[in-house]
Amino acid sequence: MVREEEPKQSPKTQPRESNPVEIGSGPSGNSLMFSPRFKSAAAMAGWDEESLLIASLVVDDTPEQDIKQKKRSVFRSKTPPTNSSRRKRRVQRKSPVSIPVAVLDLDSEETTKEESVKEKVEPEIVVVNEEKKTGEYEKMGESSGASCSSSNLPCMDKLRDELSCAICLEICFEPSTTPCGHSFCKKCLRSAADKCGKRCPKCRQLMSNGRSCTVNTVLWNTIQLLFPQEVEARKAAGALNSREEGEREIPDKAFSSSNSRNQSRRVSGRDVAVRRRRVVLSQDDDEDDPAPLAIRLQMREAENQNRGLGSLARPVRISSGREIRPIISSRDANPTSSRRVPNQHEDAALALRLQREEFMEAFRGTSSDQSSASLSLARANLRAMASRATNRGAATRFM
Amino acid sequence: MTTSSASTSTWVSTTSVSSSGKRIQREMVELNMDPPPDCSAGPKGDNLYHWVATIIGPPGTPYQGGIYFLDITFPGDYPFKPPKIVFRTRVFHCNVDSSGNVSLEIVKDGWSPALTITKVLLAIRSIFTKPDPYNPLVPSIAHLYLADKVKHDELASEWTMRFAK
Repeated sequence: MVREEEPKQSPKTQPRESNPVEIGSGPSGNSLMFSPRFKSAAAMAGWDEESLLIASLVVDDTPEQDIKQKKRSVFRSKTPPTNSSRRKRRVQRKSPVSIPVAVLDLDSEETTKEESVKEKVEPEIVVVNEEKKTGEYEKMGESSGASCSSSNLPCMDKLRDELSCAICLEICFEPSTTPCGHSFCKKCLRSAADKCGKRCPKCRQLMSNGRSCTVNTVLWNTIQLLFPQEVEARKAAGALNSREEGEREIPDKAFSSSNSRNQSRRVSGRDVAVRRRRVVLSQDDDEDDPAPLAIRLQMREAENQNRGLGSLARPVRISSGREIRPIISSRDANPTSSRRVPNQHEDAALALRLQREEFMEAFRGTSSDQSSASLSLARANLRAMASRATNRGAATRFM
Repeated sequence: MTTSSASTSTWVSTTSVSSSGKRIQREMVELNMDPPPDCSAGPKGDNLYHWVATIIGPPGTPYQGGIYFLDITFPGDYPFKPPKIVFRTRVFHCNVDSSGNVSLEIVKDGWSPALTITKVLLAIRSIFTKPDPYNPLVPSIAHLYLADKVKHDELASEWTMRFAK
């Protein structure tokens, strides 16, 4: 029942692709909030500066979570996570959030994948996925530029080998460089110096500063840029022991990234590469596609309605032009699926995103009357959102 | 291979992931993806710290065609301490004694945490082609090797036929 709607939704979810990134880049300055394209769009829609500003300010304050989201999405697409689709699916099953997402996003391809032989790569699907993938990259490239392309580097595996610590065999974490020029994780080097004598593990040259090693900042920054996912996983693993609360998120990440490391260490052939690409894609689709945002928004709206705020929230849903009731009900039925309590900031951020999407659509739209209708709708929506955000902000301040 | 990797992954996830376990697991994956020539290695059972390895006697040596089994035991503080390598197959070699101990510098004092099992196996394979009679474990064989290499090779190939095939 949910699946029937997918074809309708998927084309619409795609334009939203670039939005999280735009918003993510927002906090650096107000002027950066709006892309020129959006500005001109707003001007043509006849929006007044005030409402724009209010909306932007609201978004500006908040979106720590949005930024995180954006980061993660970039990570996911950047590093080549891999593994057998079987494992990937296991990961999926573990995290409650990604389950409905997979249903929503992967269109019919996911079902074909499910049916296909587990390890085998089906050329047709791969082709389709690759096309989709490149499309995503193009869109992302608009706003986040070159950083995305690093996953496309053909030498990624060599880099991975090159930047791995010879002691733990993982990507160097806080690399420290010996006088002879070899780099290891700071921790690894220190333990090596403690337990194996003060000689370089690689070339056996004496190194006097085995204990007081410093981090090679250039190398460390490079590693953080190239392998953000691994670094995150490693950091998370460090913090994991003490904390239970992060259990859902962190093992997930660590698992997938360790898989990716294991698998992508060496490209044994085209098959591996292809499979990896495929998994990258499906992982993207899992969590970081904009569609989950839509779901979250819809969830939130459902909750709003429960709270009696439905009248305010409704226009957004209508304007999104999507029938999402079944999803809402199915998700509401599942109590574990509502991960976090929505707040006003997220609401506002999402609303803004929606507005932008609608503008993009409006200006891409073929029929003028349709676009004008959606324009007026969008305008009304933004006003509603802005006033709602300010009202709520005031309300919370009073409380 | 799929079964072994699956079992080890559960193994790792059930215990607290020690750095040695992680590293051993990584080595295992790497070894499976890119095995050294004529060598293979992997965990014996569920215990990641006990491996069994095989080396095929390199061609052009009296050990040619022999299949040599080795036990590898990783210490708890691997890779900072070397793994213990023991031949399970009898071999006529001046650097391997009758109980299978190997005199190999890199798994003793010459160990470095940057070495991996792959490198160790390759080093062991290289003592088949180039015995080191000057640091022998079995001096008599070393003597024979230096004094009468033909006789030594004859005996070695005889042992290969008898024990390693």
